[in-house]
Amino acid sequence: MNKKRDRLGVIFDILKIIRDHHNSIKPTPLLRYSNLSSASFSEYYAELDAKGFVKEITDRKGKKYITLTDKGFTYLEKYKTILGFIEEFEL
Amino acid sequence: MPMTPFFNPTGFLTEGIYTLVILVFCLLVYFKTKEIYDLTKHNGIKYFRYAFLFFGLAYASRLILYIMMISNRIFFDEFMPRRATMPLSNLFVAYFSTLAILYMTYSSIWKKIESEHFLTFSNIVAMIVAAMAFIFRSPFLVSLIQLLLLIVTVIVGVKTYSNHKKKTKIRALYFLIAGFWLINLLFLEPGRFLPFEFKVGFQIISLFVFIAIYYKISKWVK
Repeated sequence: MNKKRDRLGVIFDILKIIRDHHNSIKPTPLLRYSNLSSASFSEYYAELDAKGFVKEITDRKGKKYITLTDKGFTYLEKYKTILGFIEEFEL
Repeated sequence: MPMTPFFNPTGFLTEGIYTLVILVFCLLVYFKTKEIYDLTKHNGIKYFRYAFLFFGLAYASRLILYIMMISNRIFFDEFMPRRATMPLSNLFVAYFSTLAILYMTYSSIWKKIESEHFLTFSNIVAMIVAAMAFIFRSPFLVSLIQLLLLIVTVIVGVKTYSNHKKKTKIRALYFLIAGFWLINLLFLEPGRFLPFEFKVGFQIISLFVFIAIYYKISKWVK
């Protein structure tokens, strides 16, 4: 597996974890389920945030949760298409 | 003195339709892949999209160059001197097509040869080819330089992927697109008369290659 495919896969995994937790998960469990080092997770999380795939919400008690945006859901939907396209055109 | 090709309305119409269809397909490829590029920012998809955008622009510039070549000299000189506009169109043809060939090759080898300076490098090469096209005013020379470029990129591509297990037909289509472009440039060379039927047949085959690529894309990107 190449580096780029891994990156796309990791992004997919993180987004899937959020979706599978009723689209609302705290940062610490997300880090744990993602099986990434703290540094890598921060890097990926910053990327997801910058791309607009996730957003942070704060509840009444002041606790932070991470949720998917519409763009994040679209990525999950299109992931297989993206992989297939990259493979078909050898990109 | 090079011979100026005579004006043939059927030839002109064929050339116009051919260019328009290729331009439409190139733009369709570019815009259809926008969403998956926006989602991933994948370099391969980026270079692939740009390759088709540049091919579209190259074909459009080629049509303008063709019109300059077959147009009545007096008609053109009334609005703008043809001596100035023709080398200028030649310059755009050379610049866009060189970028298209380089981007197409790089789209499939960027993982093996990751270079931050690819954009600068490809633009410098394209500018050199464009400058030569401007100075020597010969589509033949451009196609010759691009042929060398294509051979080099094919060798790099083959060497890079010699151990690649999965073989697909897509590289053959890429090669055909670039190859057809080079032959298309030869058609523009003044004094090079080819039978009309041969040219049309060639253009139809060339169109099928673009349609095949587009068909493959539309299977993935609705």
